[in-house]
This record gives sequence, structure tokens and C-alpha cells, in this order.
Amino acid sequence: MGAYLVKRFLLMFPTLLGVALVTFLLIRVIPGDVVELRYSGDRGAVSQEVIDQERARIGLDQPVWKQLGTWLIGMAKLDFGTSMWTGAPIWDEIRLRFALSLQVAIMATIVAVLLALPLGVLAALKQDTWIDYAVRIFSIAGLAVPSFWLGIMFILVLLIVFKWLPPMVYTPFWVDPWANMQQLIWPALAVGYRYSAVATRMTRSAMLEVLREDYIRTARAKGLWQSLLLRRHALKNAMLPVMTVVGVEFAFLIGGLVVTEQVFNLNGLGLLFVQAVSHRDYTLIQALVMLVAGIFIVMNFLLDVAFAWLDPRVRYA
Amino acid sequence: MPAPLLSVVSLVTQFSTRSGIVKAVDGVSWDVEAGETVALVGESGCGKSASALSVMRLIAEPAGRIVSGQVLFKGRDLLALSAEQMRRVRGREIGMIFQEPMTSLNPVLSVGRQLTEGLEIHLGMTPGAARARALELLGMVGIPDAERRLKQYPHQFSGGMRQRMMIAMALSCDPALILADEPTTALDVTSQAQILELMKSLSQKLGVAMLIITHNLGVVARYADRVNVMYAGKIIERASARELYANPRHPYTEGLLRSVPRLDEPRRARLAPIEGQPPDLTRLPRGCSFAPRCRWREDRCEREAPALAALRGEWHMSACWQAERLGEAVTQ
Repeated sequence: MGAYLVKRFLLMFPTLLGVALVTFLLIRVIPGDVVELRYSGDRGAVSQEVIDQERARIGLDQPVWKQLGTWLIGMAKLDFGTSMWTGAPIWDEIRLRFALSLQVAIMATIVAVLLALPLGVLAALKQDTWIDYAVRIFSIAGLAVPSFWLGIMFILVLLIVFKWLPPMVYTPFWVDPWANMQQLIWPALAVGYRYSAVATRMTRSAMLEVLREDYIRTARAKGLWQSLLLRRHALKNAMLPVMTVVGVEFAFLIGGLVVTEQVFNLNGLGLLFVQAVSHRDYTLIQALVMLVAGIFIVMNFLLDVAFAWLDPRVRYA
Repeated sequence: MPAPLLSVVSLVTQFSTRSGIVKAVDGVSWDVEAGETVALVGESGCGKSASALSVMRLIAEPAGRIVSGQVLFKGRDLLALSAEQMRRVRGREIGMIFQEPMTSLNPVLSVGRQLTEGLEIHLGMTPGAARARALELLGMVGIPDAERRLKQYPHQFSGGMRQRMMIAMALSCDPALILADEPTTALDVTSQAQILELMKSLSQKLGVAMLIITHNLGVVARYADRVNVMYAGKIIERASARELYANPRHPYTEGLLRSVPRLDEPRRARLAPIEGQPPDLTRLPRGCSFAPRCRWREDRCEREAPALAALRGEWHMSACWQAERLGEAVTQ
């Protein structure tokens, strides 16, 4: 088990390097760079000389392999450099937005798991009864309804029925948890609902599959209590695929909530992503992609650790 | 004569499938006396496993359903018990061993956990006491190095070892009866013999009654006191193992016996298979279910289904119109 985890851990680094190379090269394929975009408003009033000077200042006049080298070395030292657009250190640009996106993702995950596990298990146990149908309609609806639309509905209902609006300015959790929650619980619910729909369906189908297994029949033949049978014998097996879905979805939420962030006026990573791309802010795009990719990769690593912990066949393989 | 330990009376179990209702168990009665070993023999799909699962009320619902009948265990009708009362019977008073040792143990729980949970639940043992008992049980079923083995997981056990585990689990709470559903079918021949010997010796030592379900007549001959032969959801012949071999009184039993290879016959002799296919249980013929495949068939067999009836002067029952004629032919 130890050797397996070490190997799995070390494997994260070549993966990250691959992501870095692909990102670095692909964004340079997009036409236009940050300098052109910045001066394009002036319609040729800026001389080529000024543009060249600006490129040299940012380092875009260097050969591509050299830019790549500089960036990789910086990253190895955990230094992402400065934004090509604003000139501010990238870590300062990302920090608060990352905290916000991470918090929404964590809260949405909690919402999703709290909904998905009981509902999925219940639907599987009551397969083809009205309870099962109700759960399935609830989860299909979650897949069909876009989170941002649900978010708009939340806001409208809060405003029209309760005459109250969630705060529109972000307060970090460690400054004022209560104000922070008042704002972030709504996007977490809106996103968590769709997320729970995916997880509920996975829980239901995994449970249905596990409940048909021979070892469940053995457990029943032993005269176990229903609750113990479900917890110890069924859920532990059914959790493996559900964890995968939850983990991957969580990583997606970190950078993927562009529209929902707009609805709730949240300044998260999703919006920053869009801005970075439209400004051709190479260093910021690279940093964001690496951040999200890093979270995916770490998440996958953690999933593998959890699998090894839950499933002895993985542990001793 | 005291009432038998287990008495199945006119049990009917059905499954609804796409092609119609399958009468897997169609009005079957049999019993098991305390301490004896009874076999339920028949080919795949004849309803022998469904009978055992019905006793435990483990028929997969809602497709499967026990329609009628009684399962009297120590005088109580198990079919009339509440779910909670039935749970106390399972594992505590009746243990069960399944066919597939590879899939019947939970892959993510240690063997020790799976062995001790029944002890903790039914006998209220502390984890320490349950562990001590588990070690003792592993010794009884011949698993060496028990201390280390308890911590291991099913995938680290061979098929034969897993089936020993299943036996240990079934015996753990000192049940009065063990239902063994094809306990050796999935094992290689050497393990088969070892497992059967183990079950035989343990059942004698502990005085546990056993129902062995099998399609293997060799198993029956050696290990069972009495035999019930099932065909298409019905019992078609019943006798002591010795009597059944010497004097089969149903063409199906006779066919089964002739299809088993024997060491004491010349090798040139060809095996005689039973011609034809097992019947479609959704569309059973009006008369005897075996009639379409039977060498002894007469007009009457296709019109009327024979009931299981005692043969003259013997403790031996057969559901065949030709039982007497067959008896004469076989003994000649």
C-alpha cells in the first residue's frame, strides 16, 4: 500500500508538467497578444516602436522556449509571476477569488452529499415505488435546470416573498462568518442541487447494483439488522463510484461557475478566467489553468487514496 | 413420533418474468429431522435453490413471491413471522451456505469482521469474546494460522478456503439446521471432497441437521440420509439414499443415475444422457412434466399428473404412474 501511494503521488508531477506544456503552447496559438489588445483601442495611433517596447517590457519578445523556461522555473519556486494585464502579482489576483470559489465548491459539495446519499439509498431500496419515482424526478429536474436560472429564482423568491436580498458584497468567512454565509449559501444551494442530482443518480444505481450482489444475500442470511446491512455491507461498496463523481465534480466547481458567479455578483475564479482569456493575459491564464488542473490532479490522488482505504483489493494489488 | 425439525408443507413459490409466471416451487413438501442430512437433488432450474431460499424468506422480491404453503421450523410457521422475528431465525437458528464462495463474501470487509458480526448480533458477544469464538471456528473448519487469517480479506483466500469461511459463518451461532445450496459446485474436485467431508463430520459432531442442495448424485450417495429428487418445481421421488440408488422408481431418477460415470463399469460403456430439454416452467404440460422426455411414457402420463405416492410396503415415494412397472424392470 505504501509503495502504491508513493508511486501514485510521484505520478502527479509529470501530469502537471504535461498540463503546463499544453497550456503554455495552446494559448499562444490564439491570435493577438496582450499588448495588441491593450493598444487596439487607439487604432494605429500607437507606433510599432511603442508596441515593441511594451512587448520587450513584458518579456514577449523572448523566444518561446525561453519564456517557457522562465515560467517553469518560477512555478517550481511557487512563483506565478505578475499579470500581463494589470502588472499585479498573480497570487494577489487569485487569492481572494480562490478562497471564494473554494468555499462555494465545498458548501455545494456538502449540500450535494447531504441530499444525494439519503435520497439515492432510499430510491434504491424502494425501487419502482412512488418514492423512487419522486427521487428520480427530483434528480432529473436537477440535471435539466441550469444552476444560474435556479439562482435567479432564489433571488426573485427572496426578494418578492421575503422582501430580503442576500448581501451583494463579499465578506471573507474569517471576517464575518454570518454575513459570509448569508451571501454564499444561495449559490451553494443552486449549484449543489444540480451536483446532488448527479450524485443521487450515481448513488441509486450503485446501490441497486450492490444490493443484488451475492454477499448482500449472505449478510441477510446471517440475520443482520437492516441498518447495519446497509451501512456496513452495501454502502461501503456503493460509495466507490459515488466518490469518483463527487470528487471530479468538486474540482470542476472551482473554476467552472462562470455564469452562476455573475448571477450572485460573486468575484470568483470563473469570472477571472473569462477576463484573463479575453485580455490574452498569458501569465494569468497559465496560473489559473495550473491551479484548476492541480486541484483535479490532487483530487484524483485523494480519490485513489480513499479507494485504497475502502477497498482492500486495491490496497493489496 | 416427534414433529420434524423443519417441515415444508405444500410450498408454492413463483417468479414473475417477462415470459410469464414461473412456478419455481410448485406445491412441494419435505422435512428434515433433527440431526439428519437430507438432500434435494435435481438439474438447474428445477426449484431446489428456490425451495431453500423460501425457507429463509430470502426470495428476491418483488419478482419472486412465496404464494402459499407453510414452513414449520420447531413448530413455528416461518412464513407467518414478522420481519424482525424472521431476522432472529436467520443465522441464529438456521445457517446458510451458498454456491459461489467467490462472490458470497463481502470484498471490502475483513474475514474476521464478517465472521464475528453474527456472534455480536445474535449472541450479544463482546468483540473480544466474538474474536475468541471466531478463532475457535476457524480451527474447526480447518483454516490454519487463524490469527493472521482473521485480518485478511476474501480475495486473499482460495475458493475452498472461502467456502470453509462460509461454513464457519453458518455454524457460528450454533444453529439447529444448515441449508447448503450447492456448496461445492464452484470448487475443484479435491476441494469438493474436502468440503463435503468437513460438513459431514461437523454436522455429526455438532448434531446439526443439514439440507444439501446439489445436482451431483455422487454427493448424495455419500453424505445424505434421505433424498428428495426434484423436477420442474415438484418432488418426484423420495427415498433413503441407499434405497434410491438400488431401486429408483421414477424414470427421471433412473435417467440421472445412468448419466453418472461409474468407475466399476467398463470404460467402453457410453453414458446415457436424459434426452430432451428441461421443461419451460411458464408452460408446463397438463400431465406429468417429465412425460415429453420419458422412455416409459403412456397416454395417461400426458393427461394426468401423477401425485407423489408411497410405494407398496416401502418407505419410498414416487410420482410416476409407472413406478411399479419400473421397479420390476430395474430389479430384474
